[in-house]
Amino acid sequence: MFIQTLVTGLAIGGIYALMAVGYSLVFSVLNFSNFAYGSIIMLGAYAGYYILTQMGQPLFVAVLAAIIGSAILAYANEKIAYSSLRRRNASSLYFMISAMGTAIFLENLVYATIGSRFYAFPEVLTRQNLNVLGTSLGILDAFAIVFSSVAIYGLHWFLQNSKMGIAIRAASYDMQVSQINGVNINRLIGLVFLLAGALAGISGVFLGMKYMVYPTMGWITNKAYIAAVIGGLGSLPGAVVGGLLLGVLETFVSAYISSAIRDVFSFSLLVVLLLVMPSGLFGKYLEEKV
Amino acid sequence: MFEYFSGVLTFSLIYVIATVGLAVFTGFTGLFSLGHAAFVAIGAYTSGILTYFYQVNFWLALVAGGVMSGLVGVIIGYPTLKAKLRSDYFAIATLGFGEAVRVLLENLDITQGARGLPGIALETDLPTVLVVTIIVLWVARNFIHSRYGRAAIAVREDFTAAEMMGINLFTIRMRSLVFSAVTAGLAGGLFAHYVSFIQPSMFTGALSTQLTAGVVAGGMGSLTGPALAAIVFVAVPEALRVASMWRLVAYGFLLVAIMVFRPQGLFGHQEISWNTWRNLWKRVRSCGTKPC
Amino acid sequence: MKSKWIALAILAVFALTLVGCGGAKQEDVIKIGHAVALTGDSSMWGIAEKNALEMEIAKINAAGGVLGKKLQLIAYDTRADATEAVNVTKRLVSQDKVAAIIGPGQSGVAIAMSSVTEPGKVPMIGTTPTNPKVTVDDKTNQVRKYSFRTCFIDPFQGTVAAQFATKELKAKTAAVVYDVGSDYSSWLGKYFIEEFTKQGGTIANNEAFRSGELDFRAILGKVKQANPDVIFIPTMQKEAALVMKQARDLGITAKFLGGDGWGSPDLITLGGSAVEGSYFVNLASLDDPDIQKWIADYKAKYNQEPVLPNPVMAVDGLLAVVDAIKKANSADPVKIAEQLEKTKDLPVLTGKLTIDPKTHNPLNKPAVMQEVKGGKFVFKSKVVTQ
Repeated sequence: MFIQTLVTGLAIGGIYALMAVGYSLVFSVLNFSNFAYGSIIMLGAYAGYYILTQMGQPLFVAVLAAIIGSAILAYANEKIAYSSLRRRNASSLYFMISAMGTAIFLENLVYATIGSRFYAFPEVLTRQNLNVLGTSLGILDAFAIVFSSVAIYGLHWFLQNSKMGIAIRAASYDMQVSQINGVNINRLIGLVFLLAGALAGISGVFLGMKYMVYPTMGWITNKAYIAAVIGGLGSLPGAVVGGLLLGVLETFVSAYISSAIRDVFSFSLLVVLLLVMPSGLFGKYLEEKV
Repeated sequence: MFEYFSGVLTFSLIYVIATVGLAVFTGFTGLFSLGHAAFVAIGAYTSGILTYFYQVNFWLALVAGGVMSGLVGVIIGYPTLKAKLRSDYFAIATLGFGEAVRVLLENLDITQGARGLPGIALETDLPTVLVVTIIVLWVARNFIHSRYGRAAIAVREDFTAAEMMGINLFTIRMRSLVFSAVTAGLAGGLFAHYVSFIQPSMFTGALSTQLTAGVVAGGMGSLTGPALAAIVFVAVPEALRVASMWRLVAYGFLLVAIMVFRPQGLFGHQEISWNTWRNLWKRVRSCGTKPC
Repeated sequence: MKSKWIALAILAVFALTLVGCGGAKQEDVIKIGHAVALTGDSSMWGIAEKNALEMEIAKINAAGGVLGKKLQLIAYDTRADATEAVNVTKRLVSQDKVAAIIGPGQSGVAIAMSSVTEPGKVPMIGTTPTNPKVTVDDKTNQVRKYSFRTCFIDPFQGTVAAQFATKELKAKTAAVVYDVGSDYSSWLGKYFIEEFTKQGGTIANNEAFRSGELDFRAILGKVKQANPDVIFIPTMQKEAALVMKQARDLGITAKFLGGDGWGSPDLITLGGSAVEGSYFVNLASLDDPDIQKWIADYKAKYNQEPVLPNPVMAVDGLLAVVDAIKKANSADPVKIAEQLEKTKDLPVLTGKLTIDPKTHNPLNKPAVMQEVKGGKFVFKSKVVTQ
């Protein structure tokens, strides 16, 4: 029971981590909470579902389509909703409202056009299980853990070693100085959104396969936001640790205390942690940029 | 016919009360709340339980709802504001707070869980709401014109500079938060006695969103702007009876468009006064003589 | 001075509002209100309800209407949301001045709406609000004068499910997995537990989750350890499908059992092979010989199968209202309510409708036990109230 709970918790935490990374990536550069991230994930899931079931393409094409679709959408989101705020040097409050507006807009647009029905991916991988130490782990979970580790590690490598990655990291410390040093900030931020969007596409297909596809599925990112704050906004390792921590905590509370009041525990963890460590476990900034 | 109109107006004014409170908080301190529906819920449940189970006088229960909500505002505000959380962290903390309150409402015995409280006395009518709205607007106006209000504006514009001027960031933010919690609680109490039935699923993030949308659309830094926006947000969809999802599509679009094109909100920092209407009238009249 | 323009625009919108509300008055029609979820998670049923009512009203009007007047349906979307429904009902009662309201399908929504229909004195005939408190006041235990319904109530449904579990499935132990955020789910779970223990069974787990939950593996881990014979899942189709899928993934072999919230084809598309061989209580079945002609008409008109049971329940409600109007010889809502209470052996779609004046519930409403077999809902048995 204990080990099974732990395995389940890690599997759920992995989902949170995958989503928290994309969200934290945007934060690390632009320094604001991109609340539109959940709706980008949702549209990625719809794209993947459509390609797979309606057009009968193989899974990897569907994943690719979701990645490309979400990346383009995230890029467009930046150009439409954030870039003018960026040029105006607006405070992060304005960014957050714009992001929330985007989320409400996209989600309800799907409601109004596609409708509120639930869709499920065909059962390809979902029904097979691995036996790990006498516990059962869905093959999809194992796949997700491996895949998201590769994606997260790849991203990490990219940020550490590539020229663009170094520029991103520089910009995340000081955008103006890096611009003076010849970094094309617009292109760079566009790239960050493309990357975050690609991660959103992967998360979307994965969530869709694991659970189902529906307009408000992006709300699960609320958990990813909490995970990212626990880990420290803007820190990629923090997002991963925060996600796993939250997933395990929630699963243990559900299994040993009560599933119904689980969210009170998540919230209390968040508040207590913020009191002790105001910028999360691995947070970068304490103070807001002025 | 009149009944229906006064119903819609009553409902709009309930939103006005909550929105004006939030306008004092978000519009004047620059902190963003994703969980104000929880304060509305606390007010609604406190007053609802008092009149439903204990036959307390409606006005007394209403005030108790506001006070309770304010107290919770202190409890939640103290740690989060004391720690000087940056606005993103604060927003996510309020998001969690909103969910946590709903979990409690679903699980407590006194709130009767998901079945809610059916058959709360119908006490809220147009005169009642009008009285509360006027009081809240008056107090809010005095608040922002007081020393605290001006300090709050300074905090919103540049809190580092404000702090250097000797403004106590924590006190200012705390006072605005508690004020907004109290008004949200009052709105909740009025809501409970208008609909006569409350259940936890009425106080979701969508409600928080609508309140915030009202503040942003009306203009951060204005009181009458958000108040008018709140009325428009209730009355227009009601009149057109558009499906709610299109209303929400419009909210979303409006939020982005306002941030991009008119970040000060539709009314900016200005208040709507008699002058506004007079100028408007002049403009309309002059339409005949010159191009408009 | 942009703000002035905006103020002007708002004024214009207000003017529009007034015009929009001024609706034309017609004396030669009888207006029937319909409070229904046309958007949101329950919209599948809601849209079918509206289609069915439109079809039936067209039929009645073609045959000369009622009392020489045509019927007119005024349907508003409640989004299955209580607050929205109260506004909608206010509009139906005090502005449209409808003779009666058909709907809603959700108990919480119906209870909220009764705060308008009771003082407004307009009868409301719920389609599928199965909670007992819909027609009976919670505090006074008196019947609500203007609240009716055409469906059975949850205690009956819970009893049918529990007796099916003990008698047909020979279950000794059961687990219940319910949604604490839904009044429907938590009450139905409670009624099941009452009857199941009365029949000598043991409840191994009684697990709650919150609405919107996607991952049930933490609580299913506990269920797996207890290893019950059946798992009762009194939720809507989405949660039920996910619970069953994840339970099978964890290697749980128990039989699944549910209530009328399952009755959507979505259950099968979402749950896939995991829902195969599970049973649930429903209000109506596509296999029911009594409604074959109606189903054929519906299919011919809308080119799809109706999503049961809501459309059938709505038509039953409409037929009861029409009958009451004829008997009262008036479209006055108060008189309609008086006659509705006296409805006895009225032929409706699902058989004969008799309303119990003490509770405003239909008497002898049968429940249908359905099995998920070969990707379809298959009729299993019909249970009638004693």
